[in-house]
Amino acid sequence: MLKVLKDIVEDIGGGVLFMREVLAVALFYPCSFRSISEQIVKVTEQSWFTTAVAGFFVGAIMTVQFTMQVQQFGALGYLGGLATSGTIREVGPLLIAFMLSGKVGAFTSAELGTMRVTEQIDAVRCLGANPIQEIILPRWVGIVCSSFFLLAVGLLMSIGGGLLMGLYFSGISAQEYLRHIPTIVTSFSIFSGLFKCLVFAMVLASICTYKGYTASGGARGVGKAVVNTAVATMVAIVIADWVTSVFSEVALRIYMGE
Amino acid sequence: MVTALGQRIIFSFSHVWGVLSLLAFALWAAVTPPIRVRETVQQLSFVIWGSAPVVLLSVSFAAAVTIMEASFHMKIVVQNDSLVPGFAALLILRELGVVVTALLVTSRVGAGYAAEVASMQVTEQIDALKMLGIHPVRYLLVPRLYASILGVMVLTVLANMVCIYVAMLVSQWSLGYSSGSFLMAMRAFVTFQDLVFSVIKAGFFGAVIPLFSLYFGLRCQAGAEGVGVATTNSVVATSVTIIMMDFVLSYIFSYFY
Repeated sequence: MLKVLKDIVEDIGGGVLFMREVLAVALFYPCSFRSISEQIVKVTEQSWFTTAVAGFFVGAIMTVQFTMQVQQFGALGYLGGLATSGTIREVGPLLIAFMLSGKVGAFTSAELGTMRVTEQIDAVRCLGANPIQEIILPRWVGIVCSSFFLLAVGLLMSIGGGLLMGLYFSGISAQEYLRHIPTIVTSFSIFSGLFKCLVFAMVLASICTYKGYTASGGARGVGKAVVNTAVATMVAIVIADWVTSVFSEVALRIYMGE
Repeated sequence: MVTALGQRIIFSFSHVWGVLSLLAFALWAAVTPPIRVRETVQQLSFVIWGSAPVVLLSVSFAAAVTIMEASFHMKIVVQNDSLVPGFAALLILRELGVVVTALLVTSRVGAGYAAEVASMQVTEQIDALKMLGIHPVRYLLVPRLYASILGVMVLTVLANMVCIYVAMLVSQWSLGYSSGSFLMAMRAFVTFQDLVFSVIKAGFFGAVIPLFSLYFGLRCQAGAEGVGVATTNSVVATSVTIIMMDFVLSYIFSYFY
């Protein structure tokens, strides 16, 4: 038990030191714009389909669940607003980020881990280049940009999925479904959902680059790095979800002047 | 673009076919001897003890967020907090408890199985099993299938309990409910079916996890890169399938309330 705790603390410390190094490199030796855009294109191209499908189904699930609850009060008119707001503020970013942590996070850590165990990273260093500048930094920035974009697309798809289920499962018309979305989903809700997406994207990018970069021990080591990345990312995302929820509630109170 | 999409769809159909035939084999192998009880118990303890801390920690945070969000929405729609325990408990029991648990077990156990089997494949241990006259799929899949189904069910029950407990704590602190009034407000909404259906869902999700892990692990390409790709693919395929199955099962169960 103590050893597990020690491992966790060491992991967090190592991750923070690693991110400090990346930040220092980003300030003093920025990477080329071209390499960042290559990463953005690669990640987006790989994952847009999965994310869109996941977002669609998350929206559909939330509408089905909310229908059963709201129907007891005969308040189906509020269904669209409630389901959309619940999806955009909490469940959507959480579940779609889980999906991305499997797709983008695991892929990146597998790629970096392979580079590490086949000594390609050492080769880059031997050639006189800084591996963090050449390999890590473009990936980190690329993953943050494209994950944020993908999560936002997933949220848009979730509205579509919810609308479809509103039509076919709950049997209300599209106008009725859409009518209460503007009244319940405020711009502050959308902002808080997008803020969550940004935080999740940064958590995801930091953990997968760190775990991949520090992998060791052949094929088995790569597998282990991927597993650790997936677990650490999901736990960190859930905790970040809570932190951002508290943060946005406090921000809302300040904004409303309470 | 269209060609690429078409190729991807055809490619994923070949995977679907492969997984379905693996499922058919697993169903047959699961009921015919030899069933390795000892191995199954070992795997079960790996599933439960390996993922219980992670799962319980994560779902308690998820529960805290759920109760806060439920209160936010109730304030908009009915201007007070009276329905919050019921709505939050339903969302936790029907959706979040089981889905978050299953997704976490996917990344912890499913990715672990995929990495393990893939490195066995790369280091020719699977071929060694064949040489010894042991059917590798039966030897690897059946204990893991039983263990994962049972393990996810047990973890879901635990996660539901912890979730409700944390939700109760948070509503005491921030909404001013006493634990008694929270439970009373919850009981007006939650029925016995909710608990049963969440365990049934957990069983289905638990069955998906080892199937995909073994399928991608056994098809692993040689080398360190192959192991990484196999693990990634299995995590992605499992999580997408879990979300889709969750939708289908929610839809089916909605007719039984």
